[in-house]
Amino acid sequence: MAYDPRLAGAGTAAQAPPTPPPPPEAAQAPNASTSLGGQSDSYKLRFCTVCASNQNRSMEAHLRLSTASSPFPVISFGTGSLVRLPGPSITQPNVYNFNSTSYSQMYDELFSKDERLYRNNGILNMLDRNRNVKWGPERFQDWVPGLPRIDHVSKGDKGALGTEGGVVDVIITCEERCWDAVVDDLMNKASPLNRPVHVFNVDIRDNHEEALVGGKAILDLATRLNDTAVLEQKALGAEGWANGTGEARRSFDEKVPEILASWQEKWPNLPALWTIAWL
Amino acid sequence: MAQSGDQVVDQIAQLNAARNLVLGDAAFYPQIVNGVLPIIGAQARVELRRWGTEFLAETFASPAFATAQKEQLATNVLHTVRSILELPEGDQLVLKNIVQAAASLYPLVFRHIINHPEDKQSWEHIEAIKQDILRRWDSFSYPVKMCCIKFAQRVVLVQTHGLIADPRRPEHNETSLAIVPRNHSILSLPSLEAESSGLLDRILSVFQEDTSDPILVNATLNCLATLIRSRQSISNKIISALLNFVPARHARSPVTPTVRVSVKSMERTTRAVLINIMKRNPNHPLVAKMQQHIERLMQSRIEHPDETSRKRGLPTEPTDGLDAAKRARLDAETPPVIKVPPLPAGRISYAQLFTLTEDTGLSSFDVKQLPADLLVKIVVPLLARVDQSSLNQVVDAVRMRYQTVQKQQLGQPQPVAAEEDDDYEPEYQPMDVASAAPDQAGPVSAELPGEQPDLVSLGPFVLPRPPPLSEDQAAEAGRGAVARVFGMLGSTTVSQNSVKGQGQQLGFSRLAGSTFDRDAWVTLLTRLATRAPSGLETGPKPEGDRRKPRISDAIRETLYRYILEDFRGRVNVGIMWLNEEWYNDRIQMKLAASNRTEDNEEVSVALNYDPWVLRLLDGFLPYLDSRDIKIFIRFLSEIPEVTIPIAKRIASLAKDPERVNLCVQSFMYLIMFRPPARDICLDALEEVYQTYEESRPSAGKVLTRWRPQRIEQLQAEQTTLVNRTVEPQQPPNATFTNGVRDPRTAHLANSQ
Repeated sequence: MAYDPRLAGAGTAAQAPPTPPPPPEAAQAPNASTSLGGQSDSYKLRFCTVCASNQNRSMEAHLRLSTASSPFPVISFGTGSLVRLPGPSITQPNVYNFNSTSYSQMYDELFSKDERLYRNNGILNMLDRNRNVKWGPERFQDWVPGLPRIDHVSKGDKGALGTEGGVVDVIITCEERCWDAVVDDLMNKASPLNRPVHVFNVDIRDNHEEALVGGKAILDLATRLNDTAVLEQKALGAEGWANGTGEARRSFDEKVPEILASWQEKWPNLPALWTIAWL
Repeated sequence: MAQSGDQVVDQIAQLNAARNLVLGDAAFYPQIVNGVLPIIGAQARVELRRWGTEFLAETFASPAFATAQKEQLATNVLHTVRSILELPEGDQLVLKNIVQAAASLYPLVFRHIINHPEDKQSWEHIEAIKQDILRRWDSFSYPVKMCCIKFAQRVVLVQTHGLIADPRRPEHNETSLAIVPRNHSILSLPSLEAESSGLLDRILSVFQEDTSDPILVNATLNCLATLIRSRQSISNKIISALLNFVPARHARSPVTPTVRVSVKSMERTTRAVLINIMKRNPNHPLVAKMQQHIERLMQSRIEHPDETSRKRGLPTEPTDGLDAAKRARLDAETPPVIKVPPLPAGRISYAQLFTLTEDTGLSSFDVKQLPADLLVKIVVPLLARVDQSSLNQVVDAVRMRYQTVQKQQLGQPQPVAAEEDDDYEPEYQPMDVASAAPDQAGPVSAELPGEQPDLVSLGPFVLPRPPPLSEDQAAEAGRGAVARVFGMLGSTTVSQNSVKGQGQQLGFSRLAGSTFDRDAWVTLLTRLATRAPSGLETGPKPEGDRRKPRISDAIRETLYRYILEDFRGRVNVGIMWLNEEWYNDRIQMKLAASNRTEDNEEVSVALNYDPWVLRLLDGFLPYLDSRDIKIFIRFLSEIPEVTIPIAKRIASLAKDPERVNLCVQSFMYLIMFRPPARDICLDALEEVYQTYEESRPSAGKVLTRWRPQRIEQLQAEQTTLVNRTVEPQQPPNATFTNGVRDPRTAHLANSQ
């Protein structure tokens, strides 16, 4: 619902509706206009990126999607039990709780612990990037789909515009383990919203370089998906769905396997997976 | 009134503002929904209907909006939803939203009808919506079809029997047939159940279709887990439908990348559903089958890409570095087959059983001729280099031979205990022997010529009884056992005094040696030393001298050394031990006394307490220093009996000027708190007083209190001595007498 209804063609006159209900006090809130683009191509799929700790891969993708030339609504999560960041050795990771520790806190803590180490392994840079994207890592399993996320908009999280309703159209995970966890968790949540969601996996190795490549690939996938969805919206426009023919009549959902297949040919090193689940 | 596009834009902006309001506070939902309904109805422009239907779907799905309020609101919107659904225009987005909204509305309205049977109109609306959706399901476009699947799942969920979580609080139970009263005026249980059963079949039919569409299949798969989990009655039906579904089978046509994506997604989703079920219910009767199916799916996935790659032909060069290694290993995995000659007919020896070579020279070679160290040099590198697969082959060959021989013998009438065959592990010996078969087969058969017939028949093998141990050997073995227990005491694996750590005092209910900590082992040892052999060793002792150390003495000796190793830390062990000794001595004496009445003979009892307490004292007294006073007094106070020799040993401490105080204080303690030993100690102290000048100040003080007359006498002697030496100094005891508060001592001091 966050997307804009199309404004095309003033066309045939429907019967005049009664006057809208008196807008409540907050009706003219500035964000009322946020979902209004005035153009049919302003239609945007809402995305959700997921990795293990909601730090590297999902956050890189979050940043990419939310700062693209035509930005997407996006939220992001981790599926791990805790947020784990590399420490001085492989057996001493820095561990934080999801949902309650901000990127800034982590940044400050690691900065005071050993600035040189965490500067050199890129952790501080990553946290610095993340804290400019949103407040802190969120756990997928704790997400209640459909629960309004208005506060994220007011906090200025990147990509929050359009996700006020707490729902997404597409989930993209960055590791098969996470895809399994997401699909499994959605089943456990018993799909109370009765709302379909496409769940993709794009397998990205967990390092800064791969995350950059993966973020680019995810943006590519998102753009392809969105372009198709926009086409569908257009086809369903004033002429009406019934007037389209052939390819135009095929819906966005139907085309997803094809989109993924052609995307995969361009990105053969990021093995992908997809299913359609329920929020 | 015609409406311009601009007006619609404005309206939608206002509607969005209203939506933002309810997102911020769900309490506004009833007000906003009721206000919005007239704007988004069937007569409204398609843009408004799209917005409106999506808003309705969002409203009735929102977790922020309480279910009870949703239920109230649900009946208000039914008419609007129905009229939009029944519009001939059929906008895809509107329909998608309507079906989604209907899926959320259905359980709400159903529940409302359960509680309000009089509201026939609402039931009529929701029934009409349901029937319309189900009728048009197949003609809808894919996005709407998907939502129809979910709608049907909701209907099945509602129209089957669910679990009653709490019968007393019906509002907490989920909506299902289980909460519908049997005599409900509108809801007829049998017809609702029949409808849901038919719907379930329709949902599952997607798995039987020839060309399964990944969208519909995945959408179906992902909503089945909830049904299986919460609806026992239909779960098996769903699982068996899943178990018969193999996505790869449905993709025969040219395998395009799209088909590959589709098949993979269906396989992975099926797997995810099965894993979800198994995780939730690991004891499900079908778990084994589900596991099997998952493996089958993975198998088919492996085969699938293989097929495509085969069509493209083999890659000209290895695609990764591992390839060459893999091929090399493949070669290595087919070793030359070793030829196994058949066994000769008739009875065979072990040597023949294990001989796999046909070379007569080799098989007749007696390995015993070679010295053992040389053999070791040969065999160890050989074993290290022996090829695993060859070894397996050889072992299998010998096993086969063994089994055939066994079968032959079973055919022959021979009384063989079958159970013992089971216990006997035939693989064990061949494994060890096979590679070195020619080395050892000979000696084995040669060593036991007497038992040859038995061995050859391969019947149950009975180990010969070991020769009886000589007394020395037995004693040696006993000492070994004792040494092992002591080794354990020293090791850290035995927990240290766990009882103390717990701070829990068991008091009299304590059972010695029941805690299995270090103390328990000590208890065990002391009793082993004192009690176990009593009566057994008393017999031979009088006749034999001390030439042969007995096992109990060996334990005592070891205990003695164990305590001396760290007498400060192990003084409690010593006390425990000496108490056991003393107790045992008493028991022995009592026993001897009772025996004596019969034959009226002098029966001597070997007493162990006295010699060992002295030995222990002698052992640690030299190492005792003045700071050990607490340990020493504890020892003296807790040993069962203080004898004259013990007192003498204590007195001997006074030889050392540094330990005079230790000596006197120990005596003082014994005198004060051990009345049976008081006289002994006083006597010893007197002697100390007389013998060692350094002790006089302190010893005199004790004696003044307990033997005032004697001290006067002694002091008189002292004075005369002092006078005789014409020393102008005061008598040594004068230094302390002044400060003493005891009236008797004070009096004595004055009298001087």
